[in-house]
Amino acid sequence: MFPVISLVLATLLVGTVATFFSGARARWTALATAVAFLGEVALLFYDYTGWPGYNGALVPGFAEGESHAWIHLSWMQVNYTVGVDGISLVLVLLTAILQIATVVYSWKETNRPAAYFGLVGLTCLGSFGVFVALDVLLFFLFWEAVLVPMFFLIGVWGGPRRRYAALKFFVYTHVASIVMLVGLLATVFYSGATSFDFSAIYASARGLSPVVQTFLFLSMFFGFGVKFPIVPFHTWLPDAHVEAPTGGSVLLAGLLLKLGGYGLIRWAVEVLPEGFAHARPIVLAVALVSIVWGSVVSLAQRDMKRLVAYSSINHMGIVLLAIALNSSLGLLAAVLLMFAHGIVSALLFMTAGSLHHTYGSRDLATLGGITPSSPALSTLIMTGSLASLGLPALISFPAEFLALLATWSAIGYWVFVPLVTLVVTAAFYLWMAQRLLFGPPRGVPAAVPDVPAYEEISMGLLAALTVLFGVLPALLVNVITNSPVKGFPGT
Amino acid sequence: MELSTFAGPFVPEIVLLAAALLVFVLDVAGVRRTEIVGAIAAAGSSVALLLVTADLGWAPLAGLRTIAAARIDAVPGAAPLYAFTSLGLVFQAVFLIATILVALASMSRPRGDRGAPIFFGLLLLATLGMLLVTIASDLIFLLLAIEVTSISTYVMVGYTRKDARSLEAATKFYIIGALSSTLSFFGASLVYAAYHTTDLYAIRSTLGSTGFPVLALLGFGFLIAGLAFKTTLVPFHAWAVDVYDGAPSEVSAYLAGASKKVGIFAFFLVFLGPVLFFTSGGGNPFSGGSVDFGPIFRLTLGVLAVVTMTFGNVLALLQKEMKRMLAYSSISQAGYILLGIAVGTAPALAGATLQVFAHVFMKTGAFLVVAAAAGIGIGPLIDDWRGLGSRRPLFSVAFGLMLLSLAGVPLTLGFVSKFVLFSAAVQAQGFYVWLAVAGLLNSALSVFYYGRVLKVMFFDPAPSSTAPVGAGVGASAPPALAVGGLGYGRATAIALVAVTIVALGVYPQPVLGAIQSAASHFLIAGA
Repeated sequence: MFPVISLVLATLLVGTVATFFSGARARWTALATAVAFLGEVALLFYDYTGWPGYNGALVPGFAEGESHAWIHLSWMQVNYTVGVDGISLVLVLLTAILQIATVVYSWKETNRPAAYFGLVGLTCLGSFGVFVALDVLLFFLFWEAVLVPMFFLIGVWGGPRRRYAALKFFVYTHVASIVMLVGLLATVFYSGATSFDFSAIYASARGLSPVVQTFLFLSMFFGFGVKFPIVPFHTWLPDAHVEAPTGGSVLLAGLLLKLGGYGLIRWAVEVLPEGFAHARPIVLAVALVSIVWGSVVSLAQRDMKRLVAYSSINHMGIVLLAIALNSSLGLLAAVLLMFAHGIVSALLFMTAGSLHHTYGSRDLATLGGITPSSPALSTLIMTGSLASLGLPALISFPAEFLALLATWSAIGYWVFVPLVTLVVTAAFYLWMAQRLLFGPPRGVPAAVPDVPAYEEISMGLLAALTVLFGVLPALLVNVITNSPVKGFPGT
Repeated sequence: MELSTFAGPFVPEIVLLAAALLVFVLDVAGVRRTEIVGAIAAAGSSVALLLVTADLGWAPLAGLRTIAAARIDAVPGAAPLYAFTSLGLVFQAVFLIATILVALASMSRPRGDRGAPIFFGLLLLATLGMLLVTIASDLIFLLLAIEVTSISTYVMVGYTRKDARSLEAATKFYIIGALSSTLSFFGASLVYAAYHTTDLYAIRSTLGSTGFPVLALLGFGFLIAGLAFKTTLVPFHAWAVDVYDGAPSEVSAYLAGASKKVGIFAFFLVFLGPVLFFTSGGGNPFSGGSVDFGPIFRLTLGVLAVVTMTFGNVLALLQKEMKRMLAYSSISQAGYILLGIAVGTAPALAGATLQVFAHVFMKTGAFLVVAAAAGIGIGPLIDDWRGLGSRRPLFSVAFGLMLLSLAGVPLTLGFVSKFVLFSAAVQAQGFYVWLAVAGLLNSALSVFYYGRVLKVMFFDPAPSSTAPVGAGVGASAPPALAVGGLGYGRATAIALVAVTIVALGVYPQPVLGAIQSAASHFLIAGA
């Protein structure tokens, strides 16, 4: 079989290195890389739909599997093992979309463009690797490979408090990574597996006692949870998102948070089912607290970027809740919601960035009534807000609907917690739109520059996708439910 | 037909000795040019390395075996003073690699440098002592071999006789070294009093009946202290930074890269190999007595390892001078290696040995870069390296790779070694998982000071009023050497290190196999 995944990795690697060295033409190299990436992802999808099942696959349960020996000792075999299933494939698609959107949005970046576009490419390379890696060490390498470029994106191109935000981001996520790594290593060695392959751990970790599984699960839950982020380890997020440049915020909210969700599903929930079952009350409680906290704190924000950042905590809380339901429907909702949030939060952060470029401010208390001066931007802000609050026919609606349905069938009346916060979310997005877009102009300068075309193209692309997948969620659902490991009934 | 059938098992040692004698004879005859004596030293150690590689069982060189395969990893007969272990051979390779790198780089020292023959001769003699350490099976033989090495290195630190700092360092090194030897020999005499033999294998076989009398415990305690000086474990580390800082950088490279590993191998030999001091379970010598000391010693060593790495890392974080930063980071690396001894399983021993192997390239290379930097007019402070990335991209990238490897960044040799080491700690389960956590947190900490150097080199602008590179700072500008002022020797050594770090980081399998089998044989031979 043709090694498509290795081809994608090679494309991203070569493209990213070339971007670093292409000076003033870096944006073209970056765009070419991103387009090639999207094309190869399309190839992955093309192969995947024609894929009959997972029999005879090199890596059981995954399509496009490849496995090559890397570090082989008698007590430890590390391999270059990659593969995709429906869950990772959808997130890979998200990565490709966001890379193109970010590159186009940042088209006229003037501050060291080669390094900027190179780091964007590196972040996407790392994220892609996380989604396809099926070996503990390989997974960890890509996981860490996302951290470093993001640290520099925040620390070099960020806002006034960028150094503080970058360091906080790095310390929080790196400490969490170490705990996660020890949890993963312990899972390998305590279960008596010698291979680091996902399939080997998947088979052997079930033999662990429930107590050990619970401890291991909790260590990974902490590790992945900080990326989610879960309350009370969420405080890096508002700082990082607000201080990061727009492209950085887009990748942070769109991709990095998804790494946590994907990691939790793939390496903790699927590998340690009994530990998950025992730790479920904790996960559920954390999810509910995050949901409520994220939405309540959003209400108090005046900075549009900070508002979107806190609402991300709320949305990712719903993702965590959907995962914690431990049902196929919940898992489907979680993955769909991650994809939806990736697109919508990226769109909202971009509009916040354009607002800042155009008006020099994102302050909802002093700025308002911008529709007459920037109609296109207002339309996009409105689209993003409506998508975020879950309007039917936009992308978040099917995901949130499925999440609520799954919550109802799994834990009954607790569904009112996310339901009420959805009402609150709707309220603060409408309030934001009302203050910002409508009414008499406030704080609007006499001459308002046009929003650059490349920013509008990028945002328009994402807005179109929210409509496309909102109308046809089956495009994604059919792929996700094709995931063999957990199994989806009734598809 | 192999070499071992008509030559004895000591050919590598004899080659080194012959090279050293040749250097001294040429000195008397008036041939003192750095290039010539340096080439002799490098060639001699390269031949020795080739023979050692053959002994390790590398098939293409099978004809060059100097030791019959059956003699390696076999328990020796009646008190022969020496025994061949494959782990010892791995360490021989490590020492010879460090010697080759240092000899190559030292060829680029100024041509009229006084005492060049003495330096190269002593380098070979010190390495000879190290090779003897790796085949010792008797305590007195071991300590005498260490003395051969130590006395040579004392002189090497001060051989230039020009710089007051290096003389001070030499004196300090000599006094501390003498103290450390005294402690070790005193410990050995107590062990002899307890067991009536100094043969390590004989001690092991009598352990079952004799157990651990107080005298022996005291003796081993003194031995640990004596060896801890050599390995720069906290709290026996204080001399190391001053000596590494004061010595000529090539000598620092040799001290950090090779000399320190002598103490580590002695630790392996005395406490893991024959005596199995720390092993619990079936072969545990303590289980016959009333108290099981095994876990206590393991705990003590584990705590010592964590303290050493943390101490080294925190102080490295505070340094302003490049060499002192590297010296402290070298102390922290000793902590990682000790962690492997504390865990004490075959995987952990393999991890520790791999860490030793990686450290030779990284740290020797880093000190050699510092030596080369002094040669092209870069000052001792980290800030003096500002903007070097744009002025000397290849040189900076090579140094950057070494720093990344020291920090344990993936796709470098340093990452592979740390990964194997920490995985082995987790694999041992229980208390050792926490050692792995401590090690990982320390690695994260070390990223900051290595990263700072990278930032200074690649992100900070160059100081505005710099003299053109290569002109030097003082009135006596050094003669311009080939390869951008570095000289062929230094450039080769640095390039070798950089390429090896990446090549073995991407594909470590060739080294892993040899080290793993050596480590497991070492423990089995001792069981």
